[in-house]
Amino acid sequence: MTGPAGRAFDRLLVAALLLAGWQGASAAWGEYWASGPLPAAAAFWRLVASGSLPTNALYTLEATAWGFAIGLPPGILLPFLLRRHPRIRAVLDPFMVAAYGVPKLALAPLFIVWFGIGIGSKVALVASVTFFIVYFNAMAGVAAVDRRLIATVRVMGAGEWRVLTDVVWPASVPFVFAGIRTATPYAVGGTVVTELISSNRGLGHLIQLSANRFQTNEVFAALFGVLILVIGCNLAVQAVERRLLRWRPPVFAASGAAG
Amino acid sequence: MTAPHHAPMALLEVRDLGKRFDAAGGGDAPWVIRGMGFAVADGEFLTVVGPSGSGKTTLLNMIAQTDHPTEGEVFLRGERILHAGAPRLNPGWNRQIGYVTQEDNLLPWRSALDNVLYALRLVGADDAAGRERARDLMAAVGLAGFEDYYPHQLSGGMRKRASLARTLVYDPPVILMDEPFGALDAETKAILQHDLMTVWASKRKTIVFVTHDITEAIALGDRTLVVSRAPARVTLDQANDLPRPRRAEDVIVHPAFPPLYERVRAAIR
Repeated sequence: MTGPAGRAFDRLLVAALLLAGWQGASAAWGEYWASGPLPAAAAFWRLVASGSLPTNALYTLEATAWGFAIGLPPGILLPFLLRRHPRIRAVLDPFMVAAYGVPKLALAPLFIVWFGIGIGSKVALVASVTFFIVYFNAMAGVAAVDRRLIATVRVMGAGEWRVLTDVVWPASVPFVFAGIRTATPYAVGGTVVTELISSNRGLGHLIQLSANRFQTNEVFAALFGVLILVIGCNLAVQAVERRLLRWRPPVFAASGAAG
Repeated sequence: MTAPHHAPMALLEVRDLGKRFDAAGGGDAPWVIRGMGFAVADGEFLTVVGPSGSGKTTLLNMIAQTDHPTEGEVFLRGERILHAGAPRLNPGWNRQIGYVTQEDNLLPWRSALDNVLYALRLVGADDAAGRERARDLMAAVGLAGFEDYYPHQLSGGMRKRASLARTLVYDPPVILMDEPFGALDAETKAILQHDLMTVWASKRKTIVFVTHDITEAIALGDRTLVVSRAPARVTLDQANDLPRPRRAEDVIVHPAFPPLYERVRAAIR
């Protein structure tokens, strides 16, 4: 089958197969270990109705949003500031690459020591994750700006500021968004993992708590909560991106949405 | 060089211009342009022809100040606006020199109208009068009805028209054009040449128009310069007084055309 309808059908088929596989695993190893689609769904609704899932999801969302709010602006702005300072950029580069290379999740215990088991440690981790991913993407965008466009607006009298706002920024937006899209699941994941290690709230905390009590159904329900959060964040990012990138030819827009 | 820069009629003068790009391995790079000199009178339509790779684009880039000259000077109304070793370039020399580049170089995130308006917006002149001017110009180059389209939604010919309109809109006294119709089909090219002639006849801009098409050079220009292969310099300065207004299809059947064509062709070696 072809076209969007065919694709939707194929996706439903894959979803059905996954659920059937899960059901099979549940039957083979027992519901106690593997849960199952139906008991997990029941646990999900129970946690939603009790308000536990929404409250914890909101906490995770809040930590992630703060992390984004702190990590994103410098990640975007720094490449623009460094555009005209190749020397500073060259000096900083190995340090940035090294810092980028450190697995951020390994920093979680350190952040908990520094910022406590409250929201601070989650925010710090998410900020460090998003900063580096967005920084390197924005840097690539700034470097890829078509010099002929810059020369063209300069000839018309544009100064450095107008070059930045009218050419370099719009040309870099697709790269910045590629970075944000990549960073989103890592950011949510960062919050959840930090909550797993130490927290008294959040979806990670819920997962940890349920697992400690061998409530497999609740673990899966909380995992669904994480999934929904990631999908929701992705949709929000895509909506903003689509608005800002209306000028792009559809072929780019399509590959962007798929990427 | 013969024409002194204070000659009353020369609006733009290029003197002893030379360019060589730094060789990758150091050492002496070959000259792309050397000893290039010519003057353009106010309101004159000058065409420049030469074999491809003869540094014609580099010449325009230096006059537009998007590239540094290695040698020489450029004068505008007798004032030296560029010389070799100048610490910094002033692209477009305070909006006195417009440049229609080979690629349309429209800003892809702006609509056709916003691209045409851009130079006006830079100086806060995109008011009602400015917008009307932009719309009129778009209509004059055949873009009426396409104001709100993004560049990727326009054909190559339309993008070319838009790039022409966005330079005309802010009225620079000198306009450089780098094979603006090079990539177009013959039909579109003829229409655009005609539109350009019409606009030029009404505004009397000073134009330096680079092309590798001899017929186009003769049909459009008051004067045609032939430049040599690298190191490029002027090898023929051929005035022509074919009657105006001209249409390319009339020009080629004019009795004065074949000898002009032959002289220019013979000079391109």
